Amino acid sequence: MKIKAHTVCEGVAEGEAVVYKGAFSFLGDIDPSTGKIVFPGHELEGTILADKIFVFASGKGSTGGSRIAWLLSRNGVAPRAIICLESEPVMACGVIAAGIPTVDKLERDPFEVIKVGDYVRVDASKGIVEVVARGNPKD
Amino acid sequence: MVLTEEEQEMLDGKKGPGVQRAMELLVKLGRAFDAERMVKASYGHAPSYDFIPEDFWNFITEGAKPIMKVTTHPGFQPERWKEWGIAGPNIDEMIAEHRRKHERARQLGWLFTNTCAEYLLGIIPRKGEMVAMHGSCMQIATNSLYGAMVERAGILCGLASCITGRIPLMGLMIPENRHTHVLAMVEDLDVTNWSTAQYSCLGYYIGSQVKGKKNVAISGLPENLPFDFSRALVLPMPASGAVTLCHIIGTTPEALYLEAALGDNKPEQIIKVGRRQMKETWEKLNVYDNDKVEHVAFGCPHCTIDEIGLIAAKLEGKKMKASLLIGASVPVEALARVQGYADVIERAGGHFLSCCASVANPFARKDFSGDNQVKSVAVESARAAYYTAGVCGVNTFFGTRDQCIEAGLTGRWKGGEYED
Repeated sequence: MKIKAHTVCEGVAEGEAVVYKGAFSFLGDIDPSTGKIVFPGHELEGTILADKIFVFASGKGSTGGSRIAWLLSRNGVAPRAIICLESEPVMACGVIAAGIPTVDKLERDPFEVIKVGDYVRVDASKGIVEVVARGNPKD
Repeated sequence: MVLTEEEQEMLDGKKGPGVQRAMELLVKLGRAFDAERMVKASYGHAPSYDFIPEDFWNFITEGAKPIMKVTTHPGFQPERWKEWGIAGPNIDEMIAEHRRKHERARQLGWLFTNTCAEYLLGIIPRKGEMVAMHGSCMQIATNSLYGAMVERAGILCGLASCITGRIPLMGLMIPENRHTHVLAMVEDLDVTNWSTAQYSCLGYYIGSQVKGKKNVAISGLPENLPFDFSRALVLPMPASGAVTLCHIIGTTPEALYLEAALGDNKPEQIIKVGRRQMKETWEKLNVYDNDKVEHVAFGCPHCTIDEIGLIAAKLEGKKMKASLLIGASVPVEALARVQGYADVIERAGGHFLSCCASVANPFARKDFSGDNQVKSVAVESARAAYYTAGVCGVNTFFGTRDQCIEAGLTGRWKGGEYED
């Protein structure tokens, strides 16, 4: 299944999806040296985002978050690609500076289409998201 | 995206490699948000070089020259950390890096205001003025409390704007985007005896409820809300959410009445806030497993002279058990010194720094302080609570200013749940 999306940062990547329906802050929520979600009590606390396709609702948090995105990328622990409902400028600045392929405004609700563990391909240059394989065949 | 001749020259590398890289970043950002063109900033408020990884700092400033007035957000003061004996083992490397970056910033002609509350220094844009502004706390304060046109921007793009003097024309730089679709209604709350902590908690909750980067209007608060309360209310919103413009009905310049804030919009989302939401948020901001308080931090955002006066009044002739940080700009600290407040606070064991008192609190960051790191911090700012727990990773107590001071004096947290 191919879904059209709006380009935030160009590039192509594929991998396993991590899905979070809330707003995400690179500053405070994630450790830039490991790519692990560290905020106490966060729904995804302990999850490692490195090499995943990270699907979330929107960016939030302080402007320093864009620096963390860049550090994640430099440290080799950034998500491979990002899919969100609607990006905002701090998150966008981070992914653009870090070169993480990113799309938003999908033609279908990504939370209905993409489940945790699905193998997803993101062509952010062309603005196409594709669910290649289901992580859980029952979904 | 249409560029002027000068902007195209920047993009083509004719103004040096740093300016070219900065312009590339801004053009990509502008494209992602369908900006038609760039605008010239009237001045810039830049992130501190201390927060920019050195390789990125060198990459984007290479060959750049002064282009406009640029002021700075708080940075590090590693020489003072060393002098106070709170620094970790890699302090000499940090000092060397700080000095290298400082020298380049000096060559760029930056004014080292080093504060997240620059309006307290009298540097305030006029209503409608377009400023390249770094720091989510400066962005929301300048937009909301002064009516200048400031778009939410990340640290690296904020830096790029200060190198090029340009901002993509998008978001809150466009007048019709400054109205709101989200209305927060304060109900069932008696604000008569509120201090800044309650306003901060309220703002934190509202920010967390707004989806994405939407503007919000708040009704139900007294008109002409005092400055320190208005500021405490709006500042946590871009930490718990991505709000960058908050209209306080009856107080802020673009929202003297509700219709002015809404424009032609009808509210799409209504957020009702009462005692239950305040209690839950207050509880969530407290993240600790024992009641020992080793440190108290004020100044996220940087303290006003009135706040420093209130702290000094509580500390007259007393001695803190916990260490105490007062985050304030150098000019406000100087006024506190003239006033006699600084002496009282320092005799009680307090330290003044024009640093970030939450994300980069030198007492609480393990990577700055090493084995000297404090393991628990009490704060009266919701924004500070969120970052102290998340970034510093230490026990975090959130309460009123008086509860924090009491905890610092006794070394124990007695602050309980939310009270009006």
